[in-house]
Amino acid sequence: MSDTSAMSPKTGEPIISVRGMSKYFGDFVALNDVTLDVNRSEVLCLIGPSGSGKSTLLRCLNFLEAYDGGEVRLNGDLIGWQDGDSTPRKALSTNALRQQRQHIGMVFQQFNLWPHLTALENVAEALIQVKGLPKSKAHEKAREALGKVNLSDKTENYPANLSGGQQQRVAIARAIAMEPTVMLFDEPTSALDPELVGEVLTVMKEMAAEGMTMVVVTHEMGFAAHVADRVAFLDAGRLVACVPPAEIFSQDPEDERIRTFLQTYRERNVV
Amino acid sequence: MELDLFVRYGPALLSGFAVTILCWLVGSFGGLVLGFAIACLYRWGAAPFRWLISTYVEVIRGTPFMIQLFILYYGGPYIGLVLSPIQAGILSFVVYGSPYFSEIFRGGFNAVPTGQIEAARCVGLSEARILRRIILPQMLVPITAPLTNFFIILTKETAILSVVTVPELLYETQTMAAETFTFVEPFLVLSLFYWLMVIGTSWIGGRVEARVTRHLKRAN
Repeated sequence: MSDTSAMSPKTGEPIISVRGMSKYFGDFVALNDVTLDVNRSEVLCLIGPSGSGKSTLLRCLNFLEAYDGGEVRLNGDLIGWQDGDSTPRKALSTNALRQQRQHIGMVFQQFNLWPHLTALENVAEALIQVKGLPKSKAHEKAREALGKVNLSDKTENYPANLSGGQQQRVAIARAIAMEPTVMLFDEPTSALDPELVGEVLTVMKEMAAEGMTMVVVTHEMGFAAHVADRVAFLDAGRLVACVPPAEIFSQDPEDERIRTFLQTYRERNVV
Repeated sequence: MELDLFVRYGPALLSGFAVTILCWLVGSFGGLVLGFAIACLYRWGAAPFRWLISTYVEVIRGTPFMIQLFILYYGGPYIGLVLSPIQAGILSFVVYGSPYFSEIFRGGFNAVPTGQIEAARCVGLSEARILRRIILPQMLVPITAPLTNFFIILTKETAILSVVTVPELLYETQTMAAETFTFVEPFLVLSLFYWLMVIGTSWIGGRVEARVTRHLKRAN
């Protein structure tokens, strides 16, 4: 395993910077004044109780949800909104947003593979249509990406003929083939049978080791504790803490809300 | 049965059959295209469009086809729209079918999970590409059967065109019946012709369905 983490400190170079971001669904405050940075090659895990705003935060990062207040910047570019002082602010054109999204890979809880395309076609689609690669070159790159997630033997399968874990790995290949700056994972293992979780986490660990910048919403506390560089804890739309995992998973975290949350996990995992 | 009747009236019946097929094919496909456009407008258009479209759908679906045909054929000249019977028949067929088609397409759009479209947006596909490459192939799965069904229903609706003297199958059959005082034979032949259209459509629908659902087969 390469040890890029030790050589280049994962600080001081934020790729994503979130400043005072808020998001409302009607009167409901989904996110309240969230501020955080994600540094190059960093793995940030978002944890917190159900409904705390983890997924909403993640989806605001690539503007699948339009955040209302504050800023999200990727390498300095304001995501989703036109940069400037106009109020109310104007959304970017669809094309400008498409440009930004090409640099942000996303993996969903439900995989969202396109069922009418084979694994290879799922990965190659955007390489052809968005990157403009000729078909043969796109297929070559797609094969490479599928090899990275250990699915070289399943390239011609339709999603219906893949297990959940395999489908999720195709989804990861689809995202990394675009060579994104950052990868977002929205509960990537929550829809999987327990015995299939490992193969997906293994691929994610390899990506982290290779220096991919990753933001991961997860309920896999083991992954958060061992792979994350920092763990952000959300509760009721607020960022309660964003600290190295050791501080969250210590025997006695400072914040009452974190204590309660982890307590339920520990109780459930007692066999 | 008097077979020599069919020797005499065969050409007329065949010509009626041809006119029926012409009106049905052109009218149905026209309705299909218009219906798709309406469904797209409903999905992506602004609020006033939606209101307008809902009204159109309710009005056309809420009135009998024969009345629509009468209004177009006899009322058209009052606004300068003078149409031959076949033109009026085809145009009214397009209008009559479009709201049903648009509702089938609307249902098809709704059947494609949002996550499918989000995944496509996340890799930067354009909205036009998403429609063509992601939404359309997937919506064909649930809509092929209702589309086939509606095409079959429309085969028999063509008979109504005879009321404005479109020389289609029923018109020719009635002429034959009136001139020869035979009723059983002409209408048996008429049924046979419709039945041919229906099984043909049904067969094509089956082939299309097999094609658009091939990815769902599990290779166990």
